[in-house]
Amino acid sequence: MSVERLDLFRALAARRTDEIVVTTMTATLQWPLVSQHPLDFDFLAFGMGHAADFGLGLALARPERKVIVLKGDGGLLMSLGSLVTIGRHGPPNLLVLLLENRSYEMTGGQELASGADFIALARGAGIEKTERIEDLPGFEEAADRLLTEPGPHFVVVPITNSEPLPPVNHTDHATRVTSLRRALGVD
Amino acid sequence: MSGASAAQTVTILKELGFTDVVSIPDGESRHLYQALLEEESIEVYLPTREGEGIALAAGLWVGGRRPLVVLQNTGLMEAGDALRGCGIGPGIPLVLLIGWRGYQGAMEGRLPIDSAYPYTEPLLDAWGVPHRRLMDDDDLEVIGEMTALAVSTSKPAAVVYGYGFRP
Repeated sequence: MSVERLDLFRALAARRTDEIVVTTMTATLQWPLVSQHPLDFDFLAFGMGHAADFGLGLALARPERKVIVLKGDGGLLMSLGSLVTIGRHGPPNLLVLLLENRSYEMTGGQELASGADFIALARGAGIEKTERIEDLPGFEEAADRLLTEPGPHFVVVPITNSEPLPPVNHTDHATRVTSLRRALGVD
Repeated sequence: MSGASAAQTVTILKELGFTDVVSIPDGESRHLYQALLEEESIEVYLPTREGEGIALAAGLWVGGRRPLVVLQNTGLMEAGDALRGCGIGPGIPLVLLIGWRGYQGAMEGRLPIDSAYPYTEPLLDAWGVPHRRLMDDDDLEVIGEMTALAVSTSKPAAVVYGYGFRP
């Protein structure tokens, strides 16, 4: 069982209102196909494996607003300690959606070295609200709850992708930061 | 040289408006870490590695907080990609308080010299991160100077401490 990633994104975008959405790697290529929102943040090339850490900081800084992180399993393996930090400091407004495809899709689909059980790792790291969603109806059923219920949540969704990937977004990183701060009313 | 006062350092951090400290404590910063934990106006976050901490601090700053990152030079070396991507590249004015492992031993002529010692300042220079030394209480003003520099340049800036903080 798995979910086509663009279908997952469409389902999420249809329910998203004023949440911050942090994307990285191939999620940065497809999320803009379904969302053009001032609170979208493209984390690509900000720091390998660190999208959830950045999202954690955002969530701690903005407790009134949900922060959704869309990241892959290869990236999580680069910073597995993030789970421990979320387990200790993770606020109720953080939702990490782990897009599990067992590969480094951005670099050509090389298979991950690990077959780790990410739910078990997250639970072991102290994140209580973890779940695995295997199909699109399951996500559609869970989405409203995940967007409103206090977390932090760590959700694993096995994904596939049959769509051609758009080109990488090369917009200036400083501009991305400035735009999000402006959207948040910080600047 | 005797190292700076942790209590005075915390007072300065409060005056400068720091709201959060992201830190993996080392032997030299343990008194500072303890003093920070006892300071109610500053939140302390403990990541598992320094690169993770820098990304967390960047998120805090983008969200409107004023974080300080406290890390050892060895952690700085680990965190290079995060510092590049979450600080230098996007122009996030992170302030780094860096423990200089190996400095005291080198100054005292102890052998072997810790391999972390000689690379600390050259590494910051290579990244273009301005830095000043904090060796005792007389140097505490450098924290404010480097904080102001980070803000005015929209780039990270660092304070490097060579001796352990006193309580």
